Amino acid sequence: MTLADVEEGDELPIEELYLSKDAVRAYAAASGIAFARFTDDEGARREGLPGMIAPGNMSMGLLAGRLERWAGVGSLARLGVTFRGIVLPDQTLRLCAAVTQKDEGSGSVEVDVWMESEQGDRLVIGTASVKIA
Amino acid sequence: MARIDPALLERVFDTTEFGPITASEMVSFARSLGEQAACYVEPGPDLRAHPTFCVKFRGRKGFPEDFPAALLGPMSFDAGKDVALGEPIRPGDTVRVASSVHDVYEKTGRSGGMTFVVVRFTMTNQRGEHVATIDNRLMYRT
Repeated sequence: MTLADVEEGDELPIEELYLSKDAVRAYAAASGIAFARFTDDEGARREGLPGMIAPGNMSMGLLAGRLERWAGVGSLARLGVTFRGIVLPDQTLRLCAAVTQKDEGSGSVEVDVWMESEQGDRLVIGTASVKIA
Repeated sequence: MARIDPALLERVFDTTEFGPITASEMVSFARSLGEQAACYVEPGPDLRAHPTFCVKFRGRKGFPEDFPAALLGPMSFDAGKDVALGEPIRPGDTVRVASSVHDVYEKTGRSGGMTFVVVRFTMTNQRGEHVATIDNRLMYRT
């Protein structure tokens, strides 16, 4: 893909993924945060949560991956996210993004990104800057 | 606006080093996100860390010792973060994390007052190259 292929207002194809509890546990282990809230339902309930949840950083990582599958490895320059809701495993999530600005001079593209549930609730929202060669 | 001594802002209150980073931990992290790109999951000369691998690093101390505890509620929530990326992390790299309080601000929402504390991690590698700057927004109900 080149910068010429990108237009402001473009929406990236939505990627759907099923987030399993085992995937959350694997992420928590790989990140050194294998706390009860990320690994088992009972432990999470003792913390006042409805069950085990996905770490916010995992949602951020999934969105980063979505952007790089579009713009290429090493293209992500900045990613900022706000965690708006709890992300529970055992559900299908949608990774979404739309181009908001294109700078021909720098080759930089600004993108809105968000992760939503099947019901359309935006659980994580943010913006990103990607460099397109 | 939350009252805070401006001298507390931007002052490095903790420095922690991690590493050397192994190929194995980089690959495990990338695989846990379902990554399939060879440069993230296949050990070799082209291996590099996933762009959000850096968020697993944090300083030993959460706040400066002289940070006013009255600003913080009993429970914090991870409200979000901003990551500005520099040089990719490669196997064998060391990551140095310098922590500072970047900002403190208040908001009022439907459920009441909130204080946000932005703790900045500035990360460099063993060559002094910028790896990432991460602004962590912690939210406390007040």
